[in-house]
Amino acid sequence: MELNKVILSLLICLQLISATFLWSLNAADVISEVKFAVFLAIDLLCFAMVAYSYRKLKRGVLISPVWILLGSIGLIVLLFSVSSSHRRAAVYTLSPDGR
Amino acid sequence: MTIESDTKTVRLVKWLDTRLGLSYPLLRPVPAYAINPFYWLGALPVVAFLIQGITGVIMILYYVPTPTAAYTSTQYIFNRVYYGRFLETVHLYTAYAMIMLAFMHLMRDYFVSAHKKPREIMWVVGMIMGFVTLGFGFTGYLLPWTVVSKSATDVGVGMIDALPSVISSRLSFLVVGGGGDATELLRFYDLHIIVLPAVLLALLTIKLYMLEVHGISEPTGSKKDTEQIAIFPDVTIYLMELAAMFGAAMLLISVLFPLTLPPPYTPALASQSIAQPDWYFLWVYQILKISVFEGPGLPIALGMVTLIFILLVLLPFIDRGSSRAIVQRPIFVTLGLIFIGEIIVLAAWGLLTPGQIIPLGQALLVLGGVALIIVVISLSAFHFFAGNAKHTGSPKNTMGKFNASGITAAFAIIVSVGALAIGTSLSSIVHIILNGADLTSVATLGAGLSTLALMIVTSLFLLYMSDRTTGRLRMRNAFFERIARSWN
Repeated sequence: MELNKVILSLLICLQLISATFLWSLNAADVISEVKFAVFLAIDLLCFAMVAYSYRKLKRGVLISPVWILLGSIGLIVLLFSVSSSHRRAAVYTLSPDGR
Repeated sequence: MTIESDTKTVRLVKWLDTRLGLSYPLLRPVPAYAINPFYWLGALPVVAFLIQGITGVIMILYYVPTPTAAYTSTQYIFNRVYYGRFLETVHLYTAYAMIMLAFMHLMRDYFVSAHKKPREIMWVVGMIMGFVTLGFGFTGYLLPWTVVSKSATDVGVGMIDALPSVISSRLSFLVVGGGGDATELLRFYDLHIIVLPAVLLALLTIKLYMLEVHGISEPTGSKKDTEQIAIFPDVTIYLMELAAMFGAAMLLISVLFPLTLPPPYTPALASQSIAQPDWYFLWVYQILKISVFEGPGLPIALGMVTLIFILLVLLPFIDRGSSRAIVQRPIFVTLGLIFIGEIIVLAAWGLLTPGQIIPLGQALLVLGGVALIIVVISLSAFHFFAGNAKHTGSPKNTMGKFNASGITAAFAIIVSVGALAIGTSLSSIVHIILNGADLTSVATLGAGLSTLALMIVTSLFLLYMSDRTTGRLRMRNAFFERIARSWN
């Protein structure tokens, strides 16, 4: 049960950090679009994992480690993609009068 | 006096309660078996619709629905509005997801017989909601005023003229108006942002009301979980969980495959490009491209597509059997699989052959072949699953060295390889007929036919082993002996 609480705390912390970064982005920058989407996805995924854990714990059912593991892998992939978002942004094909 | 007053109050409350249902719980609890994503396939398109609403309302602030400004305003959203490209991309992909999920919801309900009594009207309302969803796709596709979207919409609108004049004149006025491009774009815009959302919301209200009345459909299997879960907070949290995962998936897809704006529509550019609809209409487009439906045959093709839709809407009144179990509905399940298979093949084919007219023979060969393969696979699966279900726990099930799932998996592989062999052989035969025999085509034909023969022999062996396992070999032998005796 203690481990569950640690996982939940970490997820909520990550969600808060991600939400803070979300609002600190420069909206006029094209790279920010990618970062914005990734941070929002991290927020949503964290929320889904917290909701799943809460639902299971409330009913006294064990949390499936498979789902938590899959969610964690998803979060790691998203966090790495934030760091590589500059390269990702280059994929964008700008219109002739683009930014 | 107090007692009399209380009695009056209680009577008043009871009177109101009888009429307004105040004491009843607002939403009925959900059975535990419904905590499964397959039971909420209809809820996810609603989430997609909400995302569409939010992104759409932001885009409305900048979009100008005139032929001269539609493209430039879309470009402005892309390049100047904060997160504009992201908004457009998310709006498009959630629209795609909405259509895909609505189709998955339709097929899931079809296979589990959720359309049967007492949910017939729910099915009809759901089907109309599906058409409205397709309407969203059709009207929204035109709005950026790109060469691709305008050309494809012109083809779609042009089909209205093939309908009987009584319908076509009214429908044409309703959809396109009489004022050329400007009226057409304005009508599509109005339909997209006012009429269709209003209709969809009204239908959604009706459907949710009926869901509340009838509850979630029970599973088709024998296990019926009767544990009930309150709609708040448990089911609500579960739905939010699904919505969050769906949203995260949409965001990821939007990041990985960002939208690029095609060139603007000009008549000169349109004359050089091949009109092709978006993916969800590609199957219809491919049917219309079959040579026999060109020109005067177009109304027949449109009639066929309309008939498919009408049959789907009226399904609850056609498939009226009492059984809801998949294993007891081989014909309808096979028909459903054929429907899915043909749609996928037609769409993929349409994507690969833009603007090409398809010869009737080729169309019959491909569509007939797909149907044949699905029939063989489906009926084989029914043969095994129904047989195993009938003999589960039977003392006869003692002879086989192979277990049932192993035989089923082996048979599925054999049927798939056999289907490939049939396809290769047919393709080689067509090649030989059209271009004459050469070494490669003859060798391919030989390899295809040999593989097919090997698969037939192996499948007969597997059938024999399966019948030994399930104890039906004795029954089958007795059946043939009876026939032989009657001949003698």
